[in-house]
Amino acid sequence: MSQANTLMAVLVGVPLVGAIIAFVYPRLAVSITAVCAGVMVAAAAGLTRLVLSSGVLRQDVGGWAAPLGIGWQVDGLSAGLLLLTAAVGAAGAAHRAFEALEQPFFWPLWLFLWGALNVLFLSADLFNLYVALEVLSLAAVALIAMAGGGALPAAWRYLLASMLGSTVYLLGVALLYGRYGALDIALIADALETDLPSALAAALITLGLLLKAAVFPLHFWLPSAHGRAPAAVSAALSAVVVAAAWYLLVRLWFAPFGAFQGNGVGVLFGLLGAAAMVWGGLLALVQHRLKMLIAYSTVSQFGFGLLLLPLAGGVGAELAWRGAVVIVLSHGLAKASLFLAVGGIARSQGHDRLDAVGGFGSGGVLPWLALVLAAASLLGVPPTGGFAGKWWLLQGALAEGAWLWVLAILLGTLFTAAYLSRLLAVLLRPAQRGPQTGRPSPLTALPGFVLALMACGLGLALPALERLLSSALVAGGLP
Amino acid sequence: MIYLLLAGVLFVIGLHGLFVARHLLRKILSLNVLSAAVFLLLVALAREADPLDAVPHAIVLTGIVVSVSATAVALVLLVRLSRPREDQRKLMDEEGG
Amino acid sequence: MGWLVLVFDGLLAAALIWLAWQATHTPGLFRSVISFIIFGLLMALAWVRLDAPDIALAEAAIGAGATGALLLSALGRLVATHEEGAPWQERRDLYFWIPAGGALLGLLTLAAWMLPSPGLGEQVQDALPESGVQNPVTAVLLNFRALDTLLEIGVLLLAAIAIWSLGRMPLPSAPAVRSPALPALGRLLFPMFVLVSAYLLWRGSHAPGGAFPAGAVMGAGGILTILAGAQPWLTGSVHGPWRMLLSLGFAAMLALALGVMALGQPFFAYPPGLAGLIVLALELAAGLSIAMSLVALYLAGQPPDHWEGEARGE
Repeated sequence: MSQANTLMAVLVGVPLVGAIIAFVYPRLAVSITAVCAGVMVAAAAGLTRLVLSSGVLRQDVGGWAAPLGIGWQVDGLSAGLLLLTAAVGAAGAAHRAFEALEQPFFWPLWLFLWGALNVLFLSADLFNLYVALEVLSLAAVALIAMAGGGALPAAWRYLLASMLGSTVYLLGVALLYGRYGALDIALIADALETDLPSALAAALITLGLLLKAAVFPLHFWLPSAHGRAPAAVSAALSAVVVAAAWYLLVRLWFAPFGAFQGNGVGVLFGLLGAAAMVWGGLLALVQHRLKMLIAYSTVSQFGFGLLLLPLAGGVGAELAWRGAVVIVLSHGLAKASLFLAVGGIARSQGHDRLDAVGGFGSGGVLPWLALVLAAASLLGVPPTGGFAGKWWLLQGALAEGAWLWVLAILLGTLFTAAYLSRLLAVLLRPAQRGPQTGRPSPLTALPGFVLALMACGLGLALPALERLLSSALVAGGLP
Repeated sequence: MIYLLLAGVLFVIGLHGLFVARHLLRKILSLNVLSAAVFLLLVALAREADPLDAVPHAIVLTGIVVSVSATAVALVLLVRLSRPREDQRKLMDEEGG
Repeated sequence: MGWLVLVFDGLLAAALIWLAWQATHTPGLFRSVISFIIFGLLMALAWVRLDAPDIALAEAAIGAGATGALLLSALGRLVATHEEGAPWQERRDLYFWIPAGGALLGLLTLAAWMLPSPGLGEQVQDALPESGVQNPVTAVLLNFRALDTLLEIGVLLLAAIAIWSLGRMPLPSAPAVRSPALPALGRLLFPMFVLVSAYLLWRGSHAPGGAFPAGAVMGAGGILTILAGAQPWLTGSVHGPWRMLLSLGFAAMLALALGVMALGQPFFAYPPGLAGLIVLALELAAGLSIAMSLVALYLAGQPPDHWEGEARGE
C-alpha cells in the first residue's frame, strides 16, 4: 500500500470521522476540528508533493478497478484545489472557533462539507461525484440557514437550485451510462463518440453544474446565500464550493466532452464568462452591503475561470490553463479572506452597510489589512497570485490572437477595479468606534489575514505552480 | 419501450411543476417526480442490458435514500419559513419555565 | 399474453402520469400529497415490472411510506396550506412550455432510444464469487461500490444533523386527532415490522432484500408507532446513547473502510475470505442506521433532552 493511497484515504476518512465525533461529543468539537484541520493540511501538502515527484496518482477504491469499482485520481489541478480546501477549511474553522458562538452543530456540518469537497476533488467516478455533490449541498444549506432570519429563504433557494442541478446532472450521467456502460471519467473519455445521446448528456451535465457553480445567468441563488450566511460559511462557499463546480466542468470538458469542443461550445462558455464578469461587476457596483458586494464579485470573478474553455484548444492552451487555475486558487484565498475580514468588521460595528461602515482600523487593524491585501490580489496587483493568474491567462489569449477574450479579460479587470474602489472609499473614512459590547476577540481576524498573505504569496511561488500545472500533470492531458 | 417514454414524460411534468408552481410544497413534490423520472430511466436501461445489470439498481437505491434525505431537510426548512419564530418562542418559554 | 402485458404497462404508465400531474398541478395540497404517495406505490409496481424487486421494496417503504409520512406531517405544520388562485401561474407560459417541453421530451426519448446500454452485468457476474454474497445488487452496494453507500449513509446522518441544527422538534409528534384503532394497531404491527425487517436483511445476501428495504421497513414501522401515539424514544441529549446509535451505521462503515488499512489492505478493500462476514455486518449496521435516521428525519427537529415520564437525570 503506497503512501499516496494512505493520504487519499486520510483526506476522505479523517473529516468524516471528525464529523461523527463532533456530533456525538459536542464538547470535543472544536478540538477535534483542530486536529482534523492539521491532519488535512499535512495530507494535502503531502499529496501535492507526491504529484510533483511522481506524476498523476490513481487508486482503485476497495481494490475494484473501473468500470466495476470507483477510482480516485489526483493530478496537478486536484492537488491545488485540495490544498485550497485545506487552507480555507482550516482558516474558516479557526475564525469560527475564535468567534466562540454557541452553535454546536456547526462543527459536524463543517467537517461534512470539508469531507465532501475532498471526495469531490479525488473521485473520478460520475455517480460517486453525484453523491458527494449531495453531501456538499446539504451541509452547505444547513450552514447557511444557521445565520437564521433572512438566511432561511436564501438557504431554501440554494437547496432548490442545487437539488435541481443534481437531478439534471444525474440524468446526464444516466444517459452516459446507458451509452457506454461506464461511470469512470477516463473510460468514458476513451470511448466517447459525438452522437446525440452523448451530446445531450454533455448538455445536461453542464447545465446541472452551471447551476451549482452559479454561472451567469444561473447565478440567481448565489448572492443572497453567500451574502447572508455566517462569515466562515460564506468564505467556504465562495472560495471552494463554487470552485468545485468549476473544477468538475473543466475536468469533464477537457477529457470526455473535449470531443465536442470546436463546435462553438468553447465560444459559448467564453461568452457566458464574459457576461458573468460584466453582470456580476455591474451588480457589485450597486450593492449597499459589504458582504453582498463581495458575493456579487464571486459571480463576476468566475467569468475568468470560464475563459479557459475557449482558449484550451489553441497554441496558448498551457498558458491559459495555468492562468485560469491560478486565478481560481488565488480568488479562493482572497475571497475567503475578504469574507472573514468583513465578517469581523461587521461584528465589531453591528452592521456591514457600505454607507456607514469604516474606516481603516475601526474594530482592529488586522481585518482591514487583510481586506487591502485580499483586494489587491483580487484586482491583480503585482506580485500577487491574482496578478500571475491574469497575466498568464492574458498571455494565453494573446498567443492565440483571441482578441475577443483579451478584451473580456481587460473589461473584467476594469470592473473589478471599479467595485473594489468602493472598498477604498470605505477605507479612507475616519475610523469609527462600534458598540463596545460583543466585540470579537482580536484573534478572529488572524485566519483571514493569513489567507490574504497566502493569496499575495501565491505570486512568489510561481516556479512551483508552473511545475504543478504543467501539461504533464493534467490527467487526460490538455485537449 | 414504454418506460423510457414514461421517464421522459415524468421529467417534463416535474420540470414544469418546479418552475410554475406557486406553493413551495409543490416544488418539493415536483423535484421528487423529477428524480423518480431519472431513476426510471436508469432501471429501464438496466433491463435492456444483457445479462440484467445490477449497477443501476444499486445506484437507484442510493439515489432514493439521498432524495428522501434532501426532501426531509427541505420540508423542515419549509415549515420554519412558513412560521417565523412563533414556534421557537413558545419552545423557549417552555424551556425557561 | 404479450399484448396483455403491454396493456398493463400502458395502464400503469398512464396512471403514473396522471398521478404525477395531480401531485404537481391540481388544486388542493392535501390531494396533491396523497396523489404523490399513491404515485410512489405505483412506482413500486413499475419497479417490479422492470425486474428490480430490491428497488420496489425500498420504494414502497421509503418512496411511498417514509416520504409520505414526512409530507403529511409537514403539511399539518404549515400555516398557509391553502393556495390562492390557481396552483400554477397563468396559461400564457404554455406558449413557451408546450414547445419547449415537447422538444425536451422528444430529444430525451430519442436519445434514450438510441442507447445500446451495454451495462456491467457480465463484470458483476464475474466478480460475484469474490464479493461474499450472491445477490448482485448487495454485492454492488456493499462491496464494489461501497464508497457510494458509505457517503449515502453519511447523507442520512447529515440530514438528521441538518434538521437538528434548524431547531427543536415541533410538538406534539403525533397528530391531535388520531384514529382510535391506531394505538392498538401500532403496537400489534411493530413486532411484525421488526420481523419483516430481519427477514429482509437475512434474505439480502442471496436474494432481493438486504439493508435498504429492511431499514426502510423498520423505519416506516417506527414512524407508525409514533403516529399511534407512542413516545419517540429518540432524545436530543448529548448524554444519552442516541447520538451514538444514530451515527452507528456511518461509524461502522468508516471504521471498517479505514480499519482494513491496518491489515495492509487498501482503503475499503476487504481481506480475502472475510468479505461475506464483513458485508453481513455492514448490512446490519446500514439497515439499523437507515431505520433510525428515517425516524429522526420524521421528527423534524432536535428532540427534547427528556421525554415526560422519563427519569430526569439532573
